[in-house]
Amino acid sequence: MTLWKRFATNRGAVIGLIILLCVIAIALLAPVIYPGGPWKMVQRPFLVPFTNGDLPLGTDTLGRDVAAGLVHGARVSLLVGLVSTVMALLIGVPLGALAGFYGGYVDEGAMRFTEFFQTIPNFALAIVLVAILEPTLGSITLAIAIVSWPPVARLVRAEVMSLKRREFVEAAHLAGLSNTRILVSEVLPNAISPIIVMASLMVATAILLESSLSFLGLGDPNIMSWGYMIGAARTVIRSAWWLSFMPGVAILLTVLALNLIGEGLNDAFNPHLKKGRT
Amino acid sequence: MNFLKTTTFLIAAGLATPLLAQDAGGRIDIVVQPEPPSLMLGLVQNGPTQLVAGDIYESLLRYNTDLEPQPSLAKSWEISEDGLTYTFHLQDGVKWHDGEPFTSADVVFSADVFLRETHARMRSSLAYVDSIEAPDDQTVVFKLKTPFGPFIGVFEAGTMPMIPKHIYEGTDYANNPMNATPIGTGPFKFESWEKGSYIHLVKNEDYYLEGKPHLDEVYYRVIPDAASRAVAFETGEVDVLPGGSVENWDVQRLTELDNTCSTGKGWEFFAPHAFMWLNNREGPTADVRFRQAVMYAMDREFVKDVVWNGFGKVATGPVSSKTNFYSDDVTQYDYNPEKAKELLAEMGYDGTPVSILPLPYGETWQRWAEAVRQNLQEVGITVDIDSADVAGWNEKTSQWDYDMAFTYLYQYGDPALGVSRNYVESQIEKGSPWNNVEGYRNPEMDAKWAAAAVSPSPDERTKIYSEIQKEIVDDVPVAWLLEIEFPTIYNCNVQDLVTTGIGVSDGLRDAWIKQE
Amino acid sequence: MSLITTILGRLVKAAITLLAIAVLNFFLIHAAPGDPAAVLAGEAGAADPLFIAQLRERFGLDQPLYVQLWSYVKNVLTLDLGYSFRQGMPVYDLIAQRLPATLLLTLSSFVISLSLGIAFGVAAAARVGKASDSVLTTIALLFYATPLYWAALMAVLVFSVQLGWLPGFGYETVGSGYSGLARAWDILQHLILPALTLGLFFMAVYMRMTRASMLEVSQMDFVKTARAKGLSGPVIRRRHILRNALLPVVTLAGLQAGQLIGGAVLTETVFAWPGIGRLMFESLEARDYNTILGVFLVSAAMVIVFNILTDIVYRIVDPRIGAKS
Repeated sequence: MTLWKRFATNRGAVIGLIILLCVIAIALLAPVIYPGGPWKMVQRPFLVPFTNGDLPLGTDTLGRDVAAGLVHGARVSLLVGLVSTVMALLIGVPLGALAGFYGGYVDEGAMRFTEFFQTIPNFALAIVLVAILEPTLGSITLAIAIVSWPPVARLVRAEVMSLKRREFVEAAHLAGLSNTRILVSEVLPNAISPIIVMASLMVATAILLESSLSFLGLGDPNIMSWGYMIGAARTVIRSAWWLSFMPGVAILLTVLALNLIGEGLNDAFNPHLKKGRT
Repeated sequence: MNFLKTTTFLIAAGLATPLLAQDAGGRIDIVVQPEPPSLMLGLVQNGPTQLVAGDIYESLLRYNTDLEPQPSLAKSWEISEDGLTYTFHLQDGVKWHDGEPFTSADVVFSADVFLRETHARMRSSLAYVDSIEAPDDQTVVFKLKTPFGPFIGVFEAGTMPMIPKHIYEGTDYANNPMNATPIGTGPFKFESWEKGSYIHLVKNEDYYLEGKPHLDEVYYRVIPDAASRAVAFETGEVDVLPGGSVENWDVQRLTELDNTCSTGKGWEFFAPHAFMWLNNREGPTADVRFRQAVMYAMDREFVKDVVWNGFGKVATGPVSSKTNFYSDDVTQYDYNPEKAKELLAEMGYDGTPVSILPLPYGETWQRWAEAVRQNLQEVGITVDIDSADVAGWNEKTSQWDYDMAFTYLYQYGDPALGVSRNYVESQIEKGSPWNNVEGYRNPEMDAKWAAAAVSPSPDERTKIYSEIQKEIVDDVPVAWLLEIEFPTIYNCNVQDLVTTGIGVSDGLRDAWIKQE
Repeated sequence: MSLITTILGRLVKAAITLLAIAVLNFFLIHAAPGDPAAVLAGEAGAADPLFIAQLRERFGLDQPLYVQLWSYVKNVLTLDLGYSFRQGMPVYDLIAQRLPATLLLTLSSFVISLSLGIAFGVAAAARVGKASDSVLTTIALLFYATPLYWAALMAVLVFSVQLGWLPGFGYETVGSGYSGLARAWDILQHLILPALTLGLFFMAVYMRMTRASMLEVSQMDFVKTARAKGLSGPVIRRRHILRNALLPVVTLAGLQAGQLIGGAVLTETVFAWPGIGRLMFESLEARDYNTILGVFLVSAAMVIVFNILTDIVYRIVDPRIGAKS
């Protein structure tokens, strides 16, 4: 069975993929659907959802279109999630690979460094980083990347350590390939599947982190994100609960989708684990 | 309102009216936000500190909602005809919370020694003072170098708190261990402070006004999240939400609850005046036409109605209409985007981006900055919002590193105390966020501000301040926004909560709880 | 014996890590715009440069950075966390006042999340493929995907405001005068919502891990052997599968401790829980350098303690160690 077929037999994963594709489509089409941007004050504030055909989800505290905010917010959540995950991978994968492949002092040093970052409570570190750099899209993404790479390094290290004892690596050594070559072209490609699974979960975690920072007032004020919408609406949660409810659902669905996909990928990559399942 | 009468003010000391319907006893819980750094009012004077410490410390006077002086630790006072000598007669039988008697020596120590060293705002008023003397235990005489009309307004607890001489004399004030357990003369004594949770004050049984205070104890509650503060009021856990402790959008909903009262009074003395500093030094904001365009571009009525929920009043100029010397004979900047566009075209605005620095005091201010950004974008100004926390905001404004920065300043009852500091050239001093941060220079006006401060004649002062307002409003050194009103929301059983122009911060001396 | 040496070794490493954290954070926090003097002056509503200069001198901020760093490191080495100029008291006392609340919150969340997570994970694995498995898995996923602060807000709305079952915020009833058991009961009531919202998120993590791990272990040869020997299902599950399956879960729990303590910042904010998470956030905004550095050190120390705790648990659970004793 191919990977895709195995993935497709997992109902949850397919649902997750469909949701995610919808979110991506919405994010890409945002400038077409709402060319005026999410900040325009279009109607009286606190318009209740489903009461005005032009503004299906109502308006927020300043009379801005909630639907426009959600659509534009999708771009930010996905962007922050993706970019910070890529950055975290760029730190974590090389570090973990070197540690696992060379062992000895390299391993010791890299692992001390990783442990160091895992000892600092990561959300607290993210808060400090964003506060120092001042909240912009870039600083938020960077802060999330800095606090989320250690698990990647650990995972990659473990994978590389087990892979480097395999026959095909020994064969490559005998063939006279350089260490770098072996690591990059023989070992890492075989470690890619757990990394992909982890990355899909990291995107989800990054989206949650971004929204938590926004909730604490550490969001980029020029960018409409879901976390910002919840943070801005939480003071009116009693009189207009839907304002924080809808972006909350958006986050929940996206994070859920990413998790379902992650699980589906995991099952697809490791078919032997699937036996017990229907 | 004419404070400077040459006659003697003698207000009966017998304020201790017999208990009529006022029920004694009980406890009230008040929100304090954010948690004050210290309760030593002589060292720290920010809002939360004064809210709590206003029950512990007192000054010679307090001020009613028309800003007329009322007796506090001074039972009566006289001002000489030339406006140079202020004589205060102290109440009898006043004791510090540790039992020591309060005398005129404490007043001299507080004003002349302690606050001169620690209190920046008091220090600038003390510059007008020639000597402070205590001819006897119950009398204090302030002699001024020149007449200074606003001087009668400095005897308020946050400006001139009375500090116990027997505790602080000769010590390192900032590190005195007694700062943790403040000793004042006020109606309530410090009992305990559970950091991050609450501050507990108890009734001062030896208070010099008989029958007061009515309450047995007060808890100031620290609740960090605005939504949780609203919930605390709804569930009856707290009785009083002082102005600004819940977001404006919640105010309406809360006031509609059963047995809930609210009042906009109690802010007359401070009269918080919101504006944006416009950097007069560089960038587009250095051009007066740009600054005028900003005024016309903003829909300030909309902000008042939507962001401030209808509270407050659109500001017409530098002086608040709640204080004396206000004049409305100035250019009115109504919402007029067309006019703003004309002005921008006239100056040849080329789309140079400008940034707005919001005040990091919660959602209301954030929304306000977003509304202004939208207004400015609509007339063709390229604008984005800069972000900073309290420390970053201080840093940027005091180092002049901004284009437009939201702020609000207290007026302290008189333009010479709370307004001129923001417009005169001598107040251009890098490193402080509370002076002429925008860098406005106008020597002609400086002379007028100075003349108005020291003129012995109130009519003369009114005249000069009116001229100043008329001229300065055309210059738009800053973009005036709103005379802020912070409604105090409270359980209707709490009576006489706000009785002065200083509001809840002025102590719960008179408050009582109606028993059902 | 080996346990003690391992723990001692870890403590030495921990001390070095903590010192490095102190230095890193020192530079981070000093890189932030503004300083405590500017914040205090800003809040005073009026200040002249003289006032700010006085404050800087008093706080020692007029010294070169390396001098400040050196004196801070010296303090830390003598276990002195310095003085909070903002709060006017030693940082040590300040943290000691707040730490019990955070310990109570994080420890109970830790226990809730780990025990519920393992229990549900085992239950789901035992019913793998059945409807009840799907229900449990889906619920866990929902908890995992819900923003923590949002769940907290909703919990307050439902259980505190609408139903009035539990207090919505705070650590105890202020001024109640309770003592002894009455006080403990009072604190417990206040604890339920914050501990649950913080714990349920992590419960979801552990549950998924336990379930996956149980399934993986149950495919292993030794389990098949046990089955072949005719042992009953529950016995196999308890003696053979669970013990082995718990190892990765416990490891993960130790690694997640840092996140748990970080998550306490959000929980403490929404529930007005007077712990060190909020103290950290507030002192960060106030640039109260010594306090924030102190909180970071203490929370890092907490992470290390959690790690050592999970290490001990690991050794108890690990069947190889168990077989020896």
